[in-house]
Amino acid sequence: MIDTDFLQADEQALAQRFIDDGFVTTPADDRAGLDRIQRRAAELAADYLKLPHSNDPYAMLDTIHTRVSVDDLNGLRLHVFNGLNAEPWFRPTYFRLARSTIETIVGNELCMQRRVNLSIQMPGDDSSLLATHSDVWSGDSPFEVVVWVPLVDVHRTKAMYLLPPSLNGDMQDRMASLRSAEQLYKTIQPHATFIEIPYGHVMLFNQTLMHGNRVNEETGTRWSMNCRFKSIMSPYADKRFGEFFEPILLRPATRVGMQYKLPGGFHG
Amino acid sequence: MAERAGHRGYIGARPLNGSRTPQHVQNIVIRDYARRKNLQYLLSAVEHIMPGSYMVLEDIVDELPRLNGLILYSIFMLPPDEARRREIYDRVLREGCDLHAAVEEIALSSRNDIQAVEDILLVNKFATIL
Repeated sequence: MIDTDFLQADEQALAQRFIDDGFVTTPADDRAGLDRIQRRAAELAADYLKLPHSNDPYAMLDTIHTRVSVDDLNGLRLHVFNGLNAEPWFRPTYFRLARSTIETIVGNELCMQRRVNLSIQMPGDDSSLLATHSDVWSGDSPFEVVVWVPLVDVHRTKAMYLLPPSLNGDMQDRMASLRSAEQLYKTIQPHATFIEIPYGHVMLFNQTLMHGNRVNEETGTRWSMNCRFKSIMSPYADKRFGEFFEPILLRPATRVGMQYKLPGGFHG
Repeated sequence: MAERAGHRGYIGARPLNGSRTPQHVQNIVIRDYARRKNLQYLLSAVEHIMPGSYMVLEDIVDELPRLNGLILYSIFMLPPDEARRREIYDRVLREGCDLHAAVEEIALSSRNDIQAVEDILLVNKFATIL
């Protein structure tokens, strides 16, 4: 139970779901913005493959495995990643997809990862998997959250898996006795949940929990984006302010406070 | 045998010899090394920040049958325990792979190269850097 009377009932419910489940999924706050991102990603993919732009960006992305080889996949991914991140509207739009949820879970003075990541998981491809991990283990602060946005429907192995908060601590305690991340996955596998997210929805998850993905055994290609947000004044880890994060919302009271100097010149 | 994929990068979040290098800079150094040595660079794996964890390195070693080798950001990212390092060298060479360290521009591709790598690690362990 979140012990506060200062939140609205819907905010309390959202906060409780995040604490209990380790994630929340909600419809995108800015659906038109999400469609714009999806359309631009499909256009960039078509440009890379020297194809005409499609009138059906969803189908273009979901069936990309019929048009590109595994060897060329990272080239395609980098082209779309760089193209999206070069658009001046992209990061503000990405933030707006989940703004209400971010502000409820994290706060309203925020910094954001400088480049939004892009993953493409084609059916049967084992070349770009993410082994079981917590982001904190690779230098992220436990005060961060991840906003994870699919550009197609995701379910089962086309999605990512997450270990529930109730089990994460016990599994971490056993971790030092394991040799590799693959062994770790085999240990948590019975408890890991693949999260179903239809296109049009976004997920915000607790990246201190173990998560990752497996070979996509579904029929369509997964396209997903992820980006970290944190309260600007909360502690940082190896992913530093300035080099990895940049401020996106800093309120006037904080600006005033940072600039204030007490009167000087006393000689008592 | 299936075609091998290239060289996997290996970076970390722990300080090395008291210094910290941002992860994207580690990747730039590895990518530049791979380009200059005509190696196909594969996206880096990031070692855990917890002291003494080499789980991610072990995953790369398990992946070696499908790789040409690995490129460490630095030779000082290898485990401090000599026996554990020698296990890694053995597995790299047994799989017909090689091991590179980008900062030090070191390549280990045969048994003859092991002593040179070990000399650097051991001297660094005992020597004082002012």
